Amino acid sequence: MSELLSEKKGIAADAPKRVMRHALIDRFYHWLMAATILVLLATAFLPILGIKFQWVEIHWITGMLLAGLVLFHIVRALFWLDWRSMMIWLDDGRDLWRGMRHTLNGGAPPVRPGKYNALQKLYHLGIAILVLAAVASGLLMLLKIDTPFWRRDPYWFSNDTWGIIYAVHGFAAMAMVTMVMIHIYFALRPDEWYLTRSMFRGWISRKEYSEYHDAERWKT
Amino acid sequence: MQLFRYTKSVYGGQEQLIGASWDLLPWFVAAGAAFIIVHVIVMTLANARGRESH
Repeated sequence: MSELLSEKKGIAADAPKRVMRHALIDRFYHWLMAATILVLLATAFLPILGIKFQWVEIHWITGMLLAGLVLFHIVRALFWLDWRSMMIWLDDGRDLWRGMRHTLNGGAPPVRPGKYNALQKLYHLGIAILVLAAVASGLLMLLKIDTPFWRRDPYWFSNDTWGIIYAVHGFAAMAMVTMVMIHIYFALRPDEWYLTRSMFRGWISRKEYSEYHDAERWKT
Repeated sequence: MQLFRYTKSVYGGQEQLIGASWDLLPWFVAAGAAFIIVHVIVMTLANARGRESH
């Protein structure tokens, strides 16, 4: 395709035909994390809703897996991925404002984002806080159960402190129900299918890259 | 509707915090549903306005 034609069509001609968005290991991490969170939410809330079963063992073992996945993600994001692409900068505040004005009042179209737009970054921040709160409080709760690795010791903390730990864990868990609903909704929206597909196959097309992203802000 | 769950301390009559209230769970589900419904409505109206202007 000629440079002029590419410019006319607004397509980044120097981008590859398939723009890699998520490596295989990151997709595997995402889907494994999704499965662990769903198992944790199910084992947490189904008994509360009346579906009784032996949930504690599944819950804490899956929780340990989630803790490991979170640690993996933090290390991978810091040393192998571009962690700056998920940071919220001043530009994102501007983009968010423009996007809202465009949607609500029909103002000027928003500027195309880098790899992640402002709302995705905000979502990631929110879910990170909730998952870290749930994992941290959950790891502390392991002190209260017998496992093959240690004997329970509920006297590490006072009753008041345990109450706070349980409250943090409970609120984080309930808030994650909301966040998971929102995440699945966006994944199923037709205008976001190109992103959902990329979490399976790893790439987006050159056309999608040009249409939805700014090549200067997300260099492939 | 309670925000927290309490129990009586075994050492006296004082109330002991034991966690978040599960009565809030339907509210968190409703918050998710409300966000989705509002977003669908707003995006539908925005897209319709965009088509009209073209």
